[in-house]
Amino acid sequence: MPVISPDASAPSAANDAAGPVAAALREKVRRLERAHSAQRAGQQAVPLGVPAIDALLPSGLLTGALHEVEAGPAPSGRVAAHDGAATAFAAHLLGRFGTLRPNGTLLWCRRPFSASDAPPYAAALAAWFDPARLLMVTVRRDEDLFWAMEEGLRCPGMAAVLGEFAHSYARERAADLTAGRRLSLAAEKSGVPALLLRGQPAPPQSVCMTRWRVASAATHSTPGLGDVGAPRWRIELRRNRFGAPSVTETPTWFLEWNDETHCLSMVPQAFHGSTRESDARALESRLVG
Amino acid sequence: MRLADARALVPDLVTTPGEPQADHRLIETLANWCDRYTPWVAIDPLGGAIAEEGTEACSAGSFGGDAGLLLDVTGCAHLFGQGEAGERALLADLTERLARHDLTCRAAMADTAGAAWALARFAERQADLFCPPRGHREALASLPIEGLRLDAPIIETFLKLGLRRIGDLYPLPRAPLARRFGDQPLRRLDQALGTITEPIEPRRTPPAFRTRLAFVEPIGRPEDIAAATSRLLAALCRQFEQAGVGARRLEIALYRVDGSVDRTAIGTSRPNRDNPRLMKLFEEKLGELDPGFGVELMILAAPEVEAWSGTQDALPDSGAIAASLGEDGTIDLADRLALRLGAENVVRLLPRDSHLPERVQTTGAAAKPASAGAWKRVAEMKGARPTRLLQRPEPVDVMAHVPDDPPSVFHWRQHAHRIVRAEGPERVADEWWRPRPDGSRPPANIVPPYRDYYRVEDDDGGRFWLFRDGPYRMAANGRSTARWFLHGFCA
Repeated sequence: MPVISPDASAPSAANDAAGPVAAALREKVRRLERAHSAQRAGQQAVPLGVPAIDALLPSGLLTGALHEVEAGPAPSGRVAAHDGAATAFAAHLLGRFGTLRPNGTLLWCRRPFSASDAPPYAAALAAWFDPARLLMVTVRRDEDLFWAMEEGLRCPGMAAVLGEFAHSYARERAADLTAGRRLSLAAEKSGVPALLLRGQPAPPQSVCMTRWRVASAATHSTPGLGDVGAPRWRIELRRNRFGAPSVTETPTWFLEWNDETHCLSMVPQAFHGSTRESDARALESRLVG
Repeated sequence: MRLADARALVPDLVTTPGEPQADHRLIETLANWCDRYTPWVAIDPLGGAIAEEGTEACSAGSFGGDAGLLLDVTGCAHLFGQGEAGERALLADLTERLARHDLTCRAAMADTAGAAWALARFAERQADLFCPPRGHREALASLPIEGLRLDAPIIETFLKLGLRRIGDLYPLPRAPLARRFGDQPLRRLDQALGTITEPIEPRRTPPAFRTRLAFVEPIGRPEDIAAATSRLLAALCRQFEQAGVGARRLEIALYRVDGSVDRTAIGTSRPNRDNPRLMKLFEEKLGELDPGFGVELMILAAPEVEAWSGTQDALPDSGAIAASLGEDGTIDLADRLALRLGAENVVRLLPRDSHLPERVQTTGAAAKPASAGAWKRVAEMKGARPTRLLQRPEPVDVMAHVPDDPPSVFHWRQHAHRIVRAEGPERVADEWWRPRPDGSRPPANIVPPYRDYYRVEDDDGGRFWLFRDGPYRMAANGRSTARWFLHGFCA
């Protein structure tokens, strides 16, 4: 499992005898590979709370980096009807990042759709963080969205910055890349995490540190009741700067959000969709709750 | 006289159509331009341009016969010199500058607006246009009676009676005059003589705080304008400190050499008199200003000020979050964002005591977040809520097996969603104590309308928040009248 090494720069000191050219080259390479630079290694990371996922990341999600959350297609393959699950997962990440600065502001920038706008609803977001910390920014143009996010990333009192994306934007890839690079540079400089929340799958090329695809998955009812169980999501780690190069298959998990203990737990894939184990678990958690 | 008659008398008469709207625009521009002398500028409703000064008033001349401006220059003349000399200098400066723009004008200065109005129109000699302090009684005495701003029939009667000069009215007994002509002549006379006051209504509220900077040579470079702004700001911040206030809104006006004015404004979310911070906000806006051919005067004003609250953490209701706002730069960020995006687009989410889901979440100023934990209490009181709430619930077509059951299928945006799990209903009653949108109150003796909310999951795992608007009732054709709506998307 490739884990970031804080002493990635250590060998350069030893090899200084090789000459200044080698040292300069090494420095250059290190700058190119931002993810593995010593500067990066000094940054804080927030664990997601699921050991199996955290193991793939350098002790969690790095602050001072750009992370993306996109709404994935529904299990049947058709376009997801909405991004309620992705919003919830992004809110979970915001909440995790928010623990590092308990009183810091959370900046949420969004460009509303004209016809049917569904803004985030604070009464539900309260499960993940205190919505009083939110500063909601509404913009009309994507350029303003990037600008507002960058301004937020430079602000010293910021705990995290989230940008919510219009669907149309996915088409302008070049601008997307440049803006993404600017965002990750700003995040890296200030140590404030940046999140992008996309309502639709985004183009594959990106400069983000991690990219998550979130789709809602079928829950498990209390036996005999047919009610809606605890929220379940199918989560794919589509992109991971720290991922092993040999991994060809996208790591996928089924996660369940427990509203009482306020944490995520993994649903074993084999059991997802089958009845017995999950039903027993559901019953158990209900008895405990 | 008709145009045809005039043409007959003077065959080579040059005529142009009248353009009242263009005239009005010009007088508006001139009024803006006159802000350079005083913030207290009014367009004379009767016509005739006047500059006035509480104890002294001055009237600037007219064009086209009846347009005019009134300027209250009380306390402004000292910028041009001491005492009477200053007033004379102001009047001369005004006339000369207008002449430079090829505008013919007559400007008079007197103690009262009425006197200045009369002098600007009827003074015979140039020297009479300036009326020395307390000299208006004598100055007016020799002017024709038309200078009193009276209605035409009254003037006609006065002329028939042989009262040709304003001075002719002085010795007349007041009671019979009022009996015969109503109160207008006496009121106008008293106004002109300053016995009763005549308020001038300014075009825009004059700001309480204002600094100006005039340049010998017109400036045009952005750096110069920035430097000048910084100087003005420093002077204004000193005024704020003395008065114990902070600015909520600042407006800068550039007076260009061609007589036009360009303005821009900044706003802050809490009273501010921190020079560098305000300057930073201005730096964003100065680029929008167009110096044109050069700027000869800049005025910085604070139209909105608030009492300075001392330290930035004096918001007792907002707890720890607000306390940390001042230091951590969030307020500065909010101000910067609001400057570009509009203050209504940079907001906090506030909880509101309401049963209706769409009313629970409201927005407030960026500087005043909800108290810590307030949302948590709201969330605990309510049932499971969606992470996104549609601003306007969207109607959906449903099929339900049993009228009071959750639907088995619903159609939304051309997709059928087969429901496999459902939870509910959660009944939310209408708030009968609030008047309806049309102002009427619901009758007290019937059951108020309500909604039944259901949390449902479709066969694809998507979770939605639906409600049925009111109870099922059979319509005449045997179909139900209840309508279903989609209101939110759950986690």
